[in-house]
Amino acid sequence: MTRRERADRRRGLLLMAPTLATLAVLTVYPGAWVLWLSLQYRVPAFGVDRFAGASHYAFLAGDPRFWSAARTTALFTVASVGLELVLGVAVALALVGQRRGRHLAFSLLLLAWAMPAVVTARLFEWLYHPAAGLLNVLLGGLDLNWLGDPALALPAVVLADVWRTLPFVAVLAYARLLGIPTELYEAAQVDGAGRLATFTRVTLPLLRGVLLIAVLFRTLDALRAFDLMFVLTGGGPAGTTETLTVYAYRGLFQMLQLGFGSAVGVVVFALVMLVAWAYLRLLRAGEAAA
Amino acid sequence: MRGRGALLLAALLALAGCAERPPGDGPVTLVFKHARILGPADPFPGLLAEFAAAHPGVRVTSESLPWSSDEQHQFYVINLEGRSPGFDVMMLDVIWVPEFARAGWLLDLTDRVRPEELAPHFASTVAAATWAGRVWALPWNMNVGLLYYRADLLAKYGLRPPETWEELEAAVRTIRAGERDPRLEGYLWQGKQYEGMVVNVLEALWANGTRLLGADGAVFPEPARAVEALAHLRGLLATGVSPRWVTAADEELSRRAFGDGRAVFLRNWPYVLDLVEAPGSAVRGRVGLAPLPGRVRGAGAGSTGGSHLGISRGTRHPDLALALVRFLTGERAQRAMATGAALYPTRTALYRDPALVARNRWLPRIHDLMLAGRPRPVTPSYLLLSTTLQPELSAVLVGLKPPARAIADARRRLDYFLASRR
Repeated sequence: MTRRERADRRRGLLLMAPTLATLAVLTVYPGAWVLWLSLQYRVPAFGVDRFAGASHYAFLAGDPRFWSAARTTALFTVASVGLELVLGVAVALALVGQRRGRHLAFSLLLLAWAMPAVVTARLFEWLYHPAAGLLNVLLGGLDLNWLGDPALALPAVVLADVWRTLPFVAVLAYARLLGIPTELYEAAQVDGAGRLATFTRVTLPLLRGVLLIAVLFRTLDALRAFDLMFVLTGGGPAGTTETLTVYAYRGLFQMLQLGFGSAVGVVVFALVMLVAWAYLRLLRAGEAAA
Repeated sequence: MRGRGALLLAALLALAGCAERPPGDGPVTLVFKHARILGPADPFPGLLAEFAAAHPGVRVTSESLPWSSDEQHQFYVINLEGRSPGFDVMMLDVIWVPEFARAGWLLDLTDRVRPEELAPHFASTVAAATWAGRVWALPWNMNVGLLYYRADLLAKYGLRPPETWEELEAAVRTIRAGERDPRLEGYLWQGKQYEGMVVNVLEALWANGTRLLGADGAVFPEPARAVEALAHLRGLLATGVSPRWVTAADEELSRRAFGDGRAVFLRNWPYVLDLVEAPGSAVRGRVGLAPLPGRVRGAGAGSTGGSHLGISRGTRHPDLALALVRFLTGERAQRAMATGAALYPTRTALYRDPALVARNRWLPRIHDLMLAGRPRPVTPSYLLLSTTLQPELSAVLVGLKPPARAIADARRRLDYFLASRR
């Protein structure tokens, strides 16, 4: 390395230092602190502060409420991200094919996305109302107990989440679709490809990259889902809509068991990191293959 | 709260507690933290101006808490754990008082408040302000669980307000069989997984002659009776005396259905009265109220609720803060709140106040119900208890767990958490 290069590198590091320091303060420090907390019995309101080792984790391993929350988180994530992906692409294709009213449709889509989760939750609370709810009326006067039936509550929350976040996938896919040159479709037509073949051989491969990114973002969000279920069901009935984040919240802010609540938080964090890492590998593999 | 999750919040907890107000020679500012008041006319601006006029050089700033009770608790926990909370007087849900007292967040009022100052309040609300033999807050407004019934329907079938579970179930069957209206439900209550459901369960336990927390601190001291009480609640849903959607119902959901004339009975708080008696209400003049039924006659008792006013231990003006608390919990302020905000007084004398009774003819009746009401367990671990019990009790109501198993599971979990508090 020449002296020039060394000087450059030094200056580079110097310029990056504020960013790295900020990141360290904002993420690494609190992260490490939460990890440390999760190894304590810490109940400030009771003056409890002593080392717990891995006892919280050991308790969680045999805690049915924790495993139920983990299962709910996984089900919620798979169902809502899967539906968002399929419906989002469908909406994007419909938008591209639309001649008139594209702007209006686009604005309506963004409205759902722009609404705060708590507002969405309130809206769906009315839609799901057992007696006067629009949904039961539309279903021909059924009296489905959407938010009070353990078999229906999670699907109801998933539906609300899909409504809210489908636009995110749709807009990303739509933007990518606009960028696909028409020559490709003309060539496919010349080669005698039908609509299905055109979709699976031309459109989908070209959408792959952007969809992977959409799925990554949505999965990370879904794994930490909180607001919708917190407002709609409070995690009930029978804990069937309690996600890990809701469980962590209960531990931290209602039970005031900071050590225990942090242990649940650490699990969520580990889960999110694991999924992010897996996706990034998948993305890189995709790039290498392309 | 946004969905950034517990990690960030935990981090905030760790970083909280910075802002310090500079000491000044200018006018003293007292900060009063309370939930938004709903009602025909907000009495606060007038009351606070009155207090300021009587205390020259003192300004009172009134700051709103978040909307839901969960968020209010979270707000207090984050702000009080830091040393300088930025407020002097705070509204406290009755169930938080022992916890906040145990945590050292409240100023001990025992030596400042004379016993005769507490005597005019309902005894159960004073009990809820007292923990470990010391006084931590003054009672501000009060609630009690009670039974609303459709007086017109009961009269039509020659029935008296039910005093036992059995009578209530029989009345529902008679009236629904006679009315032949599929839209008319029987008995509505609160069965959603939240604190309100725990209140309903506590009332069922009391109605069956047992309680949640024994004198020695044991949870479900008489499991057999607790199982009966839970089986009764589940039975209401399984037999159709209560609609299945009660498992998603909070106070408002159940109140609306009853207010629309779609149910015979409703368990709720006194605030419902103003709404069902309002002009334009579908059931105006057709509603009566009674004590909650018991397993046997006379065993039913409503849970008390409401809020107290406490003083932050970090306050720099304890004497002025106490003066404000005394003023706001005083007779004059409680009368103004009963008139303008439909909040029920904790002072027993106001229930015989001619002007107030002229506005609300039910006051003497509600007085008796408040008097018979029982507080939820007065323990610093109340929220831990409630949060742990909620999914278990909800599982019983929706029929996923037999009562005995839910009780055993809840006890096992509570043992772990309670042990780590000792």
